[in-house]
Amino acid sequence: MRACKALIRHCRFYPIDSVLSLGVIALINWVLWASVSWIVQAADWSVVSTHLPLFATGSYPPDQRWRPLLWISLLAALTLITLIVPIKRGSNRWMGMVLPWCWVSMIPLGLVLMAGGLGLSNVPSRAWGGISLTLLLTVCSAVLALPFGILLALGRTSDLPVLRHSSRLYIDVMRAVPLIAVLFFGKLLIPLFLPMQLEINQVLRAVVAFALFAAAYVAEDVRGGLQAIPQTQREAAAVLGLSPLQSLQLVVLPQALRIAIPALTNQAIGLLQNTSLMALLGLVELLGIGRNLLANPAFIGRHLEVYVWLGALYWLFCTAMALLARKIEHSGPTLNGRSA
Amino acid sequence: MNTAIKAHHICKTYGADHRALDDVCVDVISGEVLVVMGPSGSGKSTLIRTFNGLEEIDSGELDVLGIKLDNEADPRHVQRIRRRVGMVFQQFNLFPHLSILENITLAPMRVQKQARVQAEAKAHSLLKQMGISEQAEKYPAQLSGGQQQRVAIARALALNPEIMLFDEPTSALDPERVKEVLDAMRTLANQGMTMVVVTHELGFAREVADRVLFMDSGRVIESADAKTFFNQAQEERTRKFLNQIN
Repeated sequence: MRACKALIRHCRFYPIDSVLSLGVIALINWVLWASVSWIVQAADWSVVSTHLPLFATGSYPPDQRWRPLLWISLLAALTLITLIVPIKRGSNRWMGMVLPWCWVSMIPLGLVLMAGGLGLSNVPSRAWGGISLTLLLTVCSAVLALPFGILLALGRTSDLPVLRHSSRLYIDVMRAVPLIAVLFFGKLLIPLFLPMQLEINQVLRAVVAFALFAAAYVAEDVRGGLQAIPQTQREAAAVLGLSPLQSLQLVVLPQALRIAIPALTNQAIGLLQNTSLMALLGLVELLGIGRNLLANPAFIGRHLEVYVWLGALYWLFCTAMALLARKIEHSGPTLNGRSA
Repeated sequence: MNTAIKAHHICKTYGADHRALDDVCVDVISGEVLVVMGPSGSGKSTLIRTFNGLEEIDSGELDVLGIKLDNEADPRHVQRIRRRVGMVFQQFNLFPHLSILENITLAPMRVQKQARVQAEAKAHSLLKQMGISEQAEKYPAQLSGGQQQRVAIARALALNPEIMLFDEPTSALDPERVKEVLDAMRTLANQGMTMVVVTHELGFAREVADRVLFMDSGRVIESADAKTFFNQAQEERTRKFLNQIN
């Protein structure tokens, strides 16, 4: 009742405001209604629903599909556990120790499940595809880019001129070149330098190109974190007899990386979205599956359904990553009064 | 009587012509408390920072616990000296990402390779001595300034140093927090620790110091035992300073 009165009074004093608000509310309603009715009624989702295994695993041999599916499920389960279990330090130390190792082990596990070995039949990288390939590309290149980026950032802030200038040159060049060009270089040039017989895995080539590219950006994010650490922290470490390397490893980097988490999350999300560029290079990851399906005359006119579906999937993955990053950020103590 | 620190004619210049230390001579005897006073910019912080190699001297002779710390000193020697010389800073400089306990056990475990159990037992007893044993699991940001500074003292003591350096340990504290830190330092002095303290706390200097060194613009103006220093200072500059801060 009171709110109603306040609203009426507000409308009397700000007529233009009120008209605008009403207009915007009407517009939102209309867009929502149109979208929902399209999704529920007009859209023909058969193109998606009949190809769910294809979206998940690409042209992976059907009798082996359980392997990429198992990996995706494990990733999803681990994500949920990480998001749900509280990892405040001290109170739940055990979880805080085990979870990171679970995440690290997902990479070799994914590679073995996808490629074969350890008793599983070999599946060539040509046959990898869909969500499993998108996630594998993202995770592997992120894991390679992080240490390389940290090394670059340290080189960039080093006292040795040679190290400093070469790191800066690398970062500047990589940031000045579009990713798609780096990917084409990776695809076309790397084989030229290698002997004919040695054919490296197509996915590996993509991962290396991605990692080399992303490392330049990671380096700048980490450098930002390094600069936020006051010199006095290094002094305090030195005074305790810690070597420069120990000071870096135990005092400076843990704080710098924590500060860099929001920026690094941006990079990780960008990396996931950039894997869609691989569709142009012939890897059939998530977007590639969509394009292949739409090339089939049977699905003419189903563009909107396919792209809305793909958009929803990318949204899901990126949101999961953002939530994970927030969780990591909040699991540590406050640094110097800043809310972490 | 052993001499813990021997500094003979040490000089240190910043930039082109700013003489931070100008021909400074001082000996610190084992077990004594030396208080260094002087206006800001007089070089007193620079002086004690040379005692553990945080600042390199340009010329002169500096000998800390029998190890030479001149401009040709081996970095590994400097590192070794730092394990035997504790230091407490004005701004505490605790590691914010580590708990209080981890702050204190870091160096014993990583530098002296002590076992965790041993290092933690030592840390708990130091925290108890500092009167903050209930804070062990907290993080620096959750503590008051006075508590943080006492943790910093405990962290330095964890390596069983032979000398403790204090660089204006109470200057960043609220007035009512100053006492708790000074009390901790007083206890330490009574235990016979060799201490070099840069401070403006006259009361502390009067009561605890064995000797007082007064510096201005990089020079030692006056060096005397505490009683003489406060009652019959020889130099006009010293008397002026004491009058101003009294």
